[in-house]
Amino acid sequence: MAVLALEAVTKRFAGLTAVDSVTFAVEEGELVGLIGPNGSGKTTLLNIMSGLLRPDGGRVLLDGADVTGLPANRLARRGLLRMFQLTRLFRQISAFDNLLVVGRALGMDAAEAAERAERLFADLQLAHVRNLDAGQLSGGQQKLLEFGACFMRPPRVALLDEPFAAVHPTMRQIMADFVRRHHTDGQTFVLVSHDMPIVKELCPRAVCMNAGTVIADGPTDQVLADPAVIEAYLGGHAA
Amino acid sequence: MGNSETRIRVEFWTSLGLLALVALAPLVVTNLYWQGVLVVCMYFAIQSVGWNLLTGYTGQMSLAPAAFAMVGAYGTGLLSYHLQAPPWIGVPSGVLAAFLIGCVLGRAALALRGPYLALTTLAFAEILRLVISNSYGFTRGDLGLNVPGIFDDRLADYYLMLGALVAVQIGVFLLLRSKYGLFLQAIRDDETAADSRGIPVVFWKTAAFALSAAICGLAGGLYAHFARLISPELGLIMQTGFVISMVVIGGIGTMSGPIIGAFLVYLLSEALREAGGYHLVVFALFVILVARFFRAGLWGLVRALARGALPPAERA
Repeated sequence: MAVLALEAVTKRFAGLTAVDSVTFAVEEGELVGLIGPNGSGKTTLLNIMSGLLRPDGGRVLLDGADVTGLPANRLARRGLLRMFQLTRLFRQISAFDNLLVVGRALGMDAAEAAERAERLFADLQLAHVRNLDAGQLSGGQQKLLEFGACFMRPPRVALLDEPFAAVHPTMRQIMADFVRRHHTDGQTFVLVSHDMPIVKELCPRAVCMNAGTVIADGPTDQVLADPAVIEAYLGGHAA
Repeated sequence: MGNSETRIRVEFWTSLGLLALVALAPLVVTNLYWQGVLVVCMYFAIQSVGWNLLTGYTGQMSLAPAAFAMVGAYGTGLLSYHLQAPPWIGVPSGVLAAFLIGCVLGRAALALRGPYLALTTLAFAEILRLVISNSYGFTRGDLGLNVPGIFDDRLADYYLMLGALVAVQIGVFLLLRSKYGLFLQAIRDDETAADSRGIPVVFWKTAAFALSAAICGLAGGLYAHFARLISPELGLIMQTGFVISMVVIGGIGTMSGPIIGAFLVYLLSEALREAGGYHLVVFALFVILVARFFRAGLWGLVRALARGALPPAERA
């Protein structure tokens, strides 16, 4: 059974159909790259999957259960954790507390959450800034911290929206290594990215969206070579 | 333990140190009038701590702290007036009434943010004040309601109010140190992120609203038995402005700021009593100066000086 499945999910904003009857499933342990040009509906779809938007039609299934329209915090406690395209942190509390609060919200006790946070700080090479307020960290460190927050309790599915955008190569490598390692351990990911080399490197499967619909779904190499995908990205000037 | 928890702990112990000085003040301040002024400072300090919990730590703007203090005051006052209920029943009943109204108002206003939430609480505060003001048969309206005192001794009133302030401060400290305090601060910093990371935002915003209302209700209930005469003026928007000034000047989102601000602003208002309404001009200027030059308030300034240098925001 798929861990996460979308069935004919549709979302409209006034006259614009941002997501149009999208259907696909993510199997346990898969790392799926969700790609597409700007405005193709990727982030809207991620917002629907994570409970921040309610779809106008269709269903979202998590482990076979219909979770359509459940609030984000309940989905998070059921294991759907996400990272935002524009970093969202609790800026006036420390980096350490940023992770601790997520662990506590997800049902971990204080000692367990603290231990997990320390491990993540070590993994993400952020231990030296653990006591600084999140708002004092550099942009890249903030991105890494938010990335870490998704893994305070191993999620059923980690939804990562552009984690590698505008990040220093060193930090990008830290995140890519983390994703690779956890994918090997069986972690399920949906990774939204415009960074094709990294999608090719990390994701065995890619789903490409354009104008709110899925235009290609399959092995990443095949999807990237698909004429419809090339046309979507290059606006019909691929040749 | 992170930096934020250390900061809260330092602020808490500093505030207790300040309150220890307040406990010793009657040794020096023997004049009954000035002892009464200090009781009123503590009344405002309790409200400031309550409002700061909601606005400074949870990020929800309310313009109703004075209205909830009025609910607490009228809760105990009306029970005493109509049913001869003793204060030990009246004050907790007033607190409970404020808590329940806070729950309902908080829940109703949850979909609103920023200025819309603030305007909703302001409308609630004004409606409540006008209802009390016009219900002569039940509340005696603008004539005011006589409330019996708890003690006949000014110092006993003084230490009762101080005990309540210390208890509230300890309660808020314990809350902020717990995971629930982290939830509130996370909601303040980013509601969407808090929701996405498993925090039930709706529940905790309502809880913070109700708790803040209950704290203000406690202040009002104790004040009613101290002042022995209450009127709808307790809920005037000007009173709320006073509370906001106290917190902003002292340091919003800190544990010491509201207490420093309450004593400073109210004592200053007493000193400027002769100037009549002009004291409001002085407060307004004070708030503007703090907002422009010391956004972290006087407590933030103290911290910056303790670090030996002013941070850029304070130097601006």
